[in-house]
Amino acid sequence: MSRGLIKCAPVRGKLRAAAGVLLCCLVLMPGCKTSQDAASAATQMSATAKALSDYYAALGVILADTDQLYRVNEQLFLKPYPAQSQQLLKTTQEELARRVTLAADLSTLAGGFAKLSASTAPADVAAAAAKLQTEADTLASFKASAGEQNALKSALQLLVTAIQEHKEREAARAMAAVAGSLSSLFVKEAPTWSSVDQVYDQLASDAASDLVDQNAVDNSGLLKVALDPFGLTPSAPSTDLNAKLAPLAKQQIATRKAALDNSCAAATAAMTRSLQEMSERIQLVADDKPMSFRLPPVTVAAVEQWATQILSY
Amino acid sequence: MANTLVDVQATFLSVDSQYSVLLAACKTPDQRTSLGSQYAAARQNYQNTLNASLEDDDAEVAALSAQLKAVNTAVVRATVQMGDIAKVIDDVTTAVTLGAQLVAKAAAV
Repeated sequence: MSRGLIKCAPVRGKLRAAAGVLLCCLVLMPGCKTSQDAASAATQMSATAKALSDYYAALGVILADTDQLYRVNEQLFLKPYPAQSQQLLKTTQEELARRVTLAADLSTLAGGFAKLSASTAPADVAAAAAKLQTEADTLASFKASAGEQNALKSALQLLVTAIQEHKEREAARAMAAVAGSLSSLFVKEAPTWSSVDQVYDQLASDAASDLVDQNAVDNSGLLKVALDPFGLTPSAPSTDLNAKLAPLAKQQIATRKAALDNSCAAATAAMTRSLQEMSERIQLVADDKPMSFRLPPVTVAAVEQWATQILSY
Repeated sequence: MANTLVDVQATFLSVDSQYSVLLAACKTPDQRTSLGSQYAAARQNYQNTLNASLEDDDAEVAALSAQLKAVNTAVVRATVQMGDIAKVIDDVTTAVTLGAQLVAKAAAV
C-alpha cells in the first residue's frame, strides 16, 4: 500500500461523512417547494404592485380633470367653484398621494422579494464548492473521486437552498400581515375611490349634454359610419343637421358614460382580487404550506385597460 | 360612512344635472345666488364626506408604509446574506490557494 493511499483513506471517510451529515440535515428540514411557491408569490406581488400604481395614477388624472371640469362649469354654466371647494379637492389629491407612496413601497418590496426568490446563491455556492474542492485536492495531495465531489457539491447546494427557503419563509411571515392589511385597506376604500370616478363621469356627461343642447358640439362625427367606408369626410354641419343629430350625440354620451363606470368597477374588482391573491400566496409561503398548483398571476388586465384609457385622455 | 357618501354624492349629482334647468327658471338675481350657494354647499358636503372617509385611514396608511419599508430592509438583508454564503466559500478558496502557493514556496526553499 502506497503512502498516498494510507493518507487518503481517512480524508475520504471524512468527506463522505460530511456529505452524509449535510444530506441528513436536509432530509430533516421541512419544505422543498418553498422557493417555487415564493417565486409564484413574488410574481403575483410584482403584478399587483404595478397594477396598484396604475390604479392610483389613473385616479390622479381623474381628480385633476375634475378640478378642470369644475372650472369649465363655472365659466360656461355659472356653477360656482369657490376657493373652499378647490382646497377640498386638493386635500383629496393629498390623500391620494399617500396611497401612491404606499403603492411605491409595495413595488420596492415586490422587487426585493423577487430578488430573494431568484437568488442564485445555491448555484453560486455549488460552483464555489467545486473550486474549493479542486484547491483542497492540491493541498491534501489526493484526488477525491468524481462521485465524492458531486456528493459534497450537491449537499452544499441543497443546504444553501434550504437556507434560502428558510429566509423566504421568514420574509413571507413578515410580509403576510402587511399584505393582508393592504388588501383590507383597499377593500375598505374602494367605494370612496369609485365615487371619485363616478362623480367625474357624471359631471363630464352632464357638461357634454349641456354643450350638445347649446349647439356647441360638432355632431358630424356621428356621420363617420356612413362616410368612412367611402373615404369621405363630413363638412361643418348646418345648425339644422347638428340639431337633428343631437339625440344621437346624447345617446352616445349616455352609452360611453355607462362604459366608463363599468370599466372602473371592473378595474376595482380586479385590483381587489389581485391584492387578495397576493396576500393568500404570501400566507401559504409563510405557513410553509405548498401550493397545490401554481397559477400564473391573477389577471390585472382590467386595471391596465382602465388606467390606459384614463391616462390617454 | 359609505352610505353617507352615497347619499351626499347622489344629492350633489342631482343638483348638478338639473342646474341649467333650475338656473333658467330663476327669475331674480337673489334666486340665482341662492341656487349657486346650494350647489356649492351640496358639493362641499360631498367633498367633506369623501375626505373624512380617507382621513380616517391616515394612521393606517402611515403605519402600512412604515411596515412595508421595514420588511423590505429585512428582505434586502436576507438577499445580501444569501450572496455572502457563496462569497465566504470563495474567500476560503482564495485562502486555500494562497496556502497552496506558500506550501509550494516553502518546499522549494
